[in-house]
Amino acid sequence: MIEASFMSYIALALVLFSLGIIGLISRKNIFIIYMSLELMLNAINLMLVTLSKYFGSMDGQIIAMMVIAIAASEAVIFLSLIVAMYRLKKSVNIDDFDTLKQKGTL
Amino acid sequence: MDIGLLSFIIFLPLIVSFVLLVLPVGMKTTRNIAFATTIVVFLLSLSIFFNFQLTDYMQFREFHPWITSYGIYYSLGVDGFSMIILMLITTLIPLGYIFLWKTKKAKGYWASMLLIQTGVTGALLSLDLILFYFFWESMLLPVFMIIGIYGTGDRIFSTLKITIYTIMGSLFMLVSILYLGVAFYNEFGVWSFQLSDLVQITTLSNIQRTFLFFGFMIAFAIKIPIFPFHTWLMQTYSNSPTGGVFILSAIMAKLGIYGIVRFVLPLFPHQYVEFAPYFVGLGVFGLIYFGIAALMQQNIKRMFAYSSASHLAFITAGIFSLNIYGMTGAAFLIVAHAMATGGLFLLVGTIEHDLGIRSISGLGGIAKKAPFLTVAFALMLFSIVGLPGTNGFVSELLIVMGLFQYNQYIGIISASTVLVAASFMFWLFQRAILVKTDNDVSKMKDLDKKEIVGIFSLAAVIMAMGIYPHWFLYKIAPTIQHYLVDILKVGVAS
Amino acid sequence: MNSFFLAWIVLVPFISSILLGSMYLYSISVKKIPNSVFTFLAVLSPLISFILGVLFFIGLENGASDYIYEPYTWLQVNGYIISMGFLGDRLSIFMVLFITFIGLMIHIYATGYMKGDEGYGKFFSYFNLFIASMLLLVLANSPIIMFIGWEGVGLCSYLLIGFYFTEPLNVVAGNKAFIVNRVGDLGFLIGLIFLFFYVGKLGFDYGALEEYVSIVPNHILTIIGIALFVGAMGKSAQIPLYVWLPDAMAGPTPVSALIHAATMVTAGVYMVARFHFLYDLIPNVGLFIAYIGAFSALFAAVIAMKQTDIKKILAYSTISQLGYMFIAVGLGFYSTGLFHVFTHAFFKALLFMGAGAVIIALHHEQNIFKMGGLRKKLPLVYTVMLIATLSISGIPPFSGFFSKDEILLKAYSHHEYLIYAIGLFTAALTAYYMFRLFFVTFYGKNYKEHHMQSISWSIKAPLVVLAFGAAFAGFMGLPDVFGGENLIDGWLNMWSGKALHVEYSVEYILMAISVIAGLLGILVSFLKFYRYDFNQKIQESGVVYNKFYIDEIYNFLFVRSLQKLSVFISVVVDDGIIDKTVMSLSNGFINLGRIIGRMQCANTRAYAFFMLVGLSSFSLYLILKLG
Repeated sequence: MIEASFMSYIALALVLFSLGIIGLISRKNIFIIYMSLELMLNAINLMLVTLSKYFGSMDGQIIAMMVIAIAASEAVIFLSLIVAMYRLKKSVNIDDFDTLKQKGTL
Repeated sequence: MDIGLLSFIIFLPLIVSFVLLVLPVGMKTTRNIAFATTIVVFLLSLSIFFNFQLTDYMQFREFHPWITSYGIYYSLGVDGFSMIILMLITTLIPLGYIFLWKTKKAKGYWASMLLIQTGVTGALLSLDLILFYFFWESMLLPVFMIIGIYGTGDRIFSTLKITIYTIMGSLFMLVSILYLGVAFYNEFGVWSFQLSDLVQITTLSNIQRTFLFFGFMIAFAIKIPIFPFHTWLMQTYSNSPTGGVFILSAIMAKLGIYGIVRFVLPLFPHQYVEFAPYFVGLGVFGLIYFGIAALMQQNIKRMFAYSSASHLAFITAGIFSLNIYGMTGAAFLIVAHAMATGGLFLLVGTIEHDLGIRSISGLGGIAKKAPFLTVAFALMLFSIVGLPGTNGFVSELLIVMGLFQYNQYIGIISASTVLVAASFMFWLFQRAILVKTDNDVSKMKDLDKKEIVGIFSLAAVIMAMGIYPHWFLYKIAPTIQHYLVDILKVGVAS
Repeated sequence: MNSFFLAWIVLVPFISSILLGSMYLYSISVKKIPNSVFTFLAVLSPLISFILGVLFFIGLENGASDYIYEPYTWLQVNGYIISMGFLGDRLSIFMVLFITFIGLMIHIYATGYMKGDEGYGKFFSYFNLFIASMLLLVLANSPIIMFIGWEGVGLCSYLLIGFYFTEPLNVVAGNKAFIVNRVGDLGFLIGLIFLFFYVGKLGFDYGALEEYVSIVPNHILTIIGIALFVGAMGKSAQIPLYVWLPDAMAGPTPVSALIHAATMVTAGVYMVARFHFLYDLIPNVGLFIAYIGAFSALFAAVIAMKQTDIKKILAYSTISQLGYMFIAVGLGFYSTGLFHVFTHAFFKALLFMGAGAVIIALHHEQNIFKMGGLRKKLPLVYTVMLIATLSISGIPPFSGFFSKDEILLKAYSHHEYLIYAIGLFTAALTAYYMFRLFFVTFYGKNYKEHHMQSISWSIKAPLVVLAFGAAFAGFMGLPDVFGGENLIDGWLNMWSGKALHVEYSVEYILMAISVIAGLLGILVSFLKFYRYDFNQKIQESGVVYNKFYIDEIYNFLFVRSLQKLSVFISVVVDDGIIDKTVMSLSNGFINLGRIIGRMQCANTRAYAFFMLVGLSSFSLYLILKLG
């Protein structure tokens, strides 16, 4: 029983992570991308907690707590960056931010 | 730590150059001090010339540890072959200054000229391969700046081309040097990059040596340049300012030849002899090929580029002729050609400075306006075409003799050198200098007093070397004998 | 006489040349120097050399052995020493005498001819340099040193042909002369190098060469002989390298007289005579030389018949006369050849100087069909020209008769009948075209009246002196048949080796034949041109008038094709193939960079995708590898 539920937790984490990646790559809205990132982080958190439970060690849970803490502070920076970027281009479309693009030829 | 004469010669220009760059002095002061420095260096080299012993040893040795953990030493020395090139460099550079005097260039120009002098003399005198490589690459940097900043036309492209091309060649050499160093370490258990140590390596197989030989040869072949590595030359020459092209043609190209004799010959004597026929062939082919190509060039500097390439190919054939005639002739032609071609470039630079024209069809009728320039031009030209009574004749005669000794047919073909240069040089002289055309050359000024003194003393040396060549040649004879007998083991004249 | 002064024969004009040159440069750039200073220096140096030459001549006459002076080692390589050596033997002193004497006369003449020219000082600087080089050529004791003089005279010839260098034609002619001469020099150089490697290692002066030349294998000797003769072909304007000489007439007339008639062009003859020890061993090559000489003589004479430019006619006649000299030296009669060199120097210099006087008087008109009737106007020139023309036509007792007749006689006695026939025929042609020139210039009717410029005494005096020479120099080589003694033969006695074996009666007959041939030529010419009508239109076309189109053929074969090849090399091969290859290497890197650079598209989502692909493939690799 415990085996089956462990595998399902892992499967759920993988599904969440994949959803995050797909969202990261395919969506253009910066907010959605941010949410996808968060989704991936949480998928990892889920994985860590599951493994921690499975191996009977607290390390994974500690790391998960740290991730949550860092993600929270990151959210502040990220959101403020998004605001700054919006001010710059009046857009939250990620494809509009292509300053690094190579212009012309060598 | 005692500092020898050679170090002075090498580093004086460098120090002066740095000091001048740092101090807030104007262009004129920079120029005057730079010129004074070259004169001092010239006097120092004169003392080397007169104290030079008639032996085949390295003289004026200097030996200090530099990067001891890898056996890299600061090691200098001079033998007969490098001595004449040293004299050549230290004599020609002050002359170059005299002619570049009035070209109102920035301070950096004169500082770069001093840096070049350090680079070329350093490369000439070092006996440690890493040290040599260091100087060899460092002389490229000021040239890069001089052409890139003060050049004309498509100058950026030209500098990139020459720099990348030569560095690419040098990389092959660097790999070969390192390979030799490792081989030495494997055999003897200590690191060393001394030339005298590296020649003792015995463990390398013939195939390995052949690869290393070509690693070195590519670097030198690009610098000289030997066919087919020559295409950078034409472009660079036509876009360089006078000073740059003067240094390139009169001095740096000769260092390529020097490198072959100094390093390739003792390190790979077997390969040197084995591949000599190909290089003799390439040399004689290049002589005629470049000579013909020069005939129809429209840009004077481009024509001289081909002319230089033609002569350098001939010199290459000479050093690979494996006998004392060819080698001596090549050594002499290095000097003769550097003087004549250097002088010619300086004179062309004067014309370009006054008129701003470098295409032959845009000139003409200069002789009437500038008789001194014309006479000087003619004298240099006589040396280039190898007219008896100039040093050009002696050297060409000796190389032809050497090639004849090597192979009669090659010798006969190479005798066409008397025709090759004459055909285009006199034609150039006719069109650009003598014949009056509709072109406006009224802005042409004759040489000033300083320039007259400079160029005519050069002409006097050219004549003296043609009338009494023995006095200039006897000091290099032991060295060349040593190369042929002790290193190549082919005898002075097989 | 101290042999030390041998060097000074060369050095005096050399130093004088440098002085004159520097003074000239000073004069045009700083302060004018009066022409009299130039004149003094210019005339002084050949005079000193002449006097020194005479002193050596007296010394040799009094039985002194050959003078040799070797001041220093010119070159030492591989233990073999080439000395800067001077040799004063009978041959070289003979050459020195006539070079300096004729040179002195022409120098004096030139002071009048060049008067008022702005390049006065320069002219004499070149002239002195020429004298110095020519003297070095004949006095050298080693072929290499001789080569220095050999090229030196070529250089002076170049400089003097292009003396008025602002005119393209002059410089082109100078270039042509120099390059064609260099083709010859190429042969000469090859000959020298063969000589050095096969025998010169035992000593590279004439004495040693003569001693050891027999060790050289015969086929190599043949190569050497031919190669050296190629040099002579260039310098002495023989087929096929004669083309430069007619063009060389672009130079001032004294140049044509001194360099392109009297002295430099005879260097080839001198060279063959100098190497007599070599040519004696290879009679086949000698015969080849004789035939080249004979054909050159005939060919040039044919062309000369149709020319209209007075100097061109004389130029072709020079080629023709040089051909005679080569007949003699080729057959081994060196002193005979040199005898003709000697007499030719007098009458040809005289002809040129006379022509120069005419040209000056007529304000630089050179077409003989625009002259005419000058006999009354220029009586002195007329007289000396008559003497010279009679002399070159081989009419006794003028000098040309003796020397030319001796050559024909020797060809006959040597059983070379074809050469004899060609020589005889050419003699008739010579008389014809020379008198054509003479009659058209000095006689004729309906000529235009000319405004004459007066001729100064400095032009006239040398004419008179040389006229005496042209008239009487032949008596120095009076044949036995007239009970005379051949002084030239006697003086150069050391190798007049081959004895003559013809009866006196045959000799008389031959002489009569050649005189008749000459007179025949004169007669034809007289009938055609004595009463030449200047209203008649001259025909300026035809193969002969156009010199058989040889210039055009050469131009097409060598010049054009080389120019095309040059363009082909620099445009197609260098820029098109080699540089393309080099640049395509570097362009390859650039293109690669461009392709990789496209991945940096500034699309964040794409970056994320690349990251995903990279991480996934790396993980996959780790999983598969570590299993």
